[in-house]
Amino acid sequence: MKAKVVLFSLLALAAVSGAAAKSIELLNVSYDPTRELYVDYNKAFATYWKAKTGDDVTVKQSHGGSGKQARGVIDGLPADVVTLALAADVDALYDVAKLIPQDWQKRLPQNSTPYTSTIVFLVRKGNPLGLKDWDDLVKPGVSIITPNPKTSGGARWNYLAAWAYAKHKQGSDEAAKAFVASLYKNVPVLDSGARGATTTFVQRGIGDVLLAWENEAFLALKEFGSDKFEIVVPSLSILAEPPVSIVDKVVKKKGTEAVAKAYLEYLYSAEGQDIAGRNFYRPRDPAAAAKYAGVFPRLELVTIDAEFGGWAKAQKTHFADGGVFDQIYSK
Amino acid sequence: MRLSSRRTLASVLFALVIISAFVPRLPAADDDLKQLRDQIRSLEQKLLVLERKQEIKDEDAATAAKAAPKIAITDKGFTLASADSANSIKLRGLVQFDNRLFFGDNGIVNNSFLLRRARLITEGTFAKNYSFQLVPEFGGGSATAASAFTILDANLGVTVNKALQFKFGKFKSPVGLELLQSDSWTFFDERSLVTNLVPNRDIGAQASGDLFNGTVNYTAGVFNGIADAATSTNADFDNEKDVVGRIFATPFKNDAGSFLQGLSFGVSASLGREKGASGRAAGYKTDGQQTFFSYAATTIADGQNWRVSPQFDYRNGSFGAIGEYVLSTVNVRPSATGKKAELQNKAWQLAAGYVLTGEDSSFAGVVPKTNFDFANGTWGAFEVVARYANLKIDDAAFPLYASAASNADEATSYGIGLNWYLSKAVAFKFDYYQTNFGFAPGAPAVSTNAVLRQDEQSLITRFQVSF
Repeated sequence: MKAKVVLFSLLALAAVSGAAAKSIELLNVSYDPTRELYVDYNKAFATYWKAKTGDDVTVKQSHGGSGKQARGVIDGLPADVVTLALAADVDALYDVAKLIPQDWQKRLPQNSTPYTSTIVFLVRKGNPLGLKDWDDLVKPGVSIITPNPKTSGGARWNYLAAWAYAKHKQGSDEAAKAFVASLYKNVPVLDSGARGATTTFVQRGIGDVLLAWENEAFLALKEFGSDKFEIVVPSLSILAEPPVSIVDKVVKKKGTEAVAKAYLEYLYSAEGQDIAGRNFYRPRDPAAAAKYAGVFPRLELVTIDAEFGGWAKAQKTHFADGGVFDQIYSK
Repeated sequence: MRLSSRRTLASVLFALVIISAFVPRLPAADDDLKQLRDQIRSLEQKLLVLERKQEIKDEDAATAAKAAPKIAITDKGFTLASADSANSIKLRGLVQFDNRLFFGDNGIVNNSFLLRRARLITEGTFAKNYSFQLVPEFGGGSATAASAFTILDANLGVTVNKALQFKFGKFKSPVGLELLQSDSWTFFDERSLVTNLVPNRDIGAQASGDLFNGTVNYTAGVFNGIADAATSTNADFDNEKDVVGRIFATPFKNDAGSFLQGLSFGVSASLGREKGASGRAAGYKTDGQQTFFSYAATTIADGQNWRVSPQFDYRNGSFGAIGEYVLSTVNVRPSATGKKAELQNKAWQLAAGYVLTGEDSSFAGVVPKTNFDFANGTWGAFEVVARYANLKIDDAAFPLYASAASNADEATSYGIGLNWYLSKAVAFKFDYYQTNFGFAPGAPAVSTNAVLRQDEQSLITRFQVSF
């Protein structure tokens, strides 16, 4: 009799726990080139979360220029998490709308940047103009495709990589400014995001060189063929560290804080890191980094902190209204 | 040999000339070709850049349009909505300017211009599923007793889905079919005698929704409870509540082309208890809005009050018809300690209309194919309407609860009219009514109420703006 009661209780418990399985929906607001990464990752996380909690989680994705996406979240886009191109765009969620705490970057390892990337050149097969380094880009007649730094995180990394190269080579900010101004004179069209710029270069056939996220360049080779394009690695570039954060005010309101946190934490797991590597992002985890070491070329990488004093300063100096970019591009 | 030498020399010279002519020209041709190719490539790039810039501009414009708030100014009102339409505010209005003329009534002072209704209606939604409505009434509403400004409707709605919606606040009690129709779109400018026996606007909470693919609509609610034809004064006058329900089917709604597609029918009912003078009707009115029956001033409601109303609506092309019957039962006393009686008052009506200009007849109003525009020779839409209605007071009401001398116990009205829709928003209505009165046994040969000494003949003309 006792055994029957226990069995019945267990069955009832199982039924109740089954009935209590939740269906959760998250919104990941990200920047342009991460579409493929998060399609892969969301599937893996859903499987992981189901196994761990029994709950079904569906992650919706929103992509666009990083700055634009941050603006969207500030204006009410109910993002549970943001996975943007640069820290300045995430900072804006605190600065403008207090959607996250000021110290958001301390909540996850490596300043909340689970993977990195850099900026490389994508040129047409055979490199018809023989472009090898940043100097070649400012020559007359070279047509450069890069998005608008006002709206695109990738474009800001492009800009800063060029600036860092010129400053290293010529020794002053003034020279770097002149160099970057020359570079932008060779830019015929500014897309709002990195994916749009890739479309301009790859699909519309415009320009001689695309300044691209490394992962975006690899993806272009994978999708459109290495018989059409090739990657040129400059002598110096910048270490791009795309950060991630939960959006505290949204997750608290929606009751999705725990799953949103877990979603970002899982990016640091072995599986998350492997997915990053598979999608041409440089993993942070040493094991995954070693696994994909052969994929990524070695080059000198400067950091935003060392070279520009951090994102807050770089943003204010170069990309704020009336900043250096406005000065050189309006000329 | 000499000749041969000469010929050889000549050949060499000729060859040199030829070579000299061609050798400098070959690189030049290559350069031209290269320049041309470069120019073509450059032009092609410029063209591609221009095309891409336009593409980006279009994409930005499309994105901006999606994110931009929407503004709509139409003959249905002025709407401001968020880009996703989840939040909106709509401004509507209704102004009805009437002229009432009465014939053969021996000089009763009742001919009048009248501002029948003047409403500025504000409606809106928040977060898609939450709505509100606020309807202040600035119009006099009555030729004989101009009422002050009132809040006619003030309610909040919550939409769960099509099958379940909630409404809280002050709004029309869902009993009378013609009463539930918008004031702007009834066949006649005044509702029929039947509307005397149903509650008007009350305060309460109701659930409603569409079921079975929209073929059945239900409504169920709890209200403070009000007397026949009364509108809540925004507070209850007793501790009792009324339960009100209505079910209305349009079974052939989805049968395109069926003769019965526009047939709707159903039944509504209310049940409650009322107590006090406010619990009994203030009075029943004719089509000309003159009172033909009222309880004695000392009569009070005390007990159960229930109503039942079978009703139908039918539309088929330009033809439309509406019909309803109401049985209203009240328990009254002649005074606080007087003898209690249960009275049953009954009314019914049948009204029909036909749009002469071919537009569809509709419960939600006639939309002219063309607006009236004298310069362009377009005239809007014309509709002819006719109605028969009857209201019978319970004979037991006389003489204890109402005076037989100053009240009719029955009113029968005939109405004909012409509606001219100048546009969806603007209309003229010309309605002629004749109301005949019957009297309870024991009533004097000549009523003490001047209105009842002859049949009522009235012509009510209305100019209406409704958006």
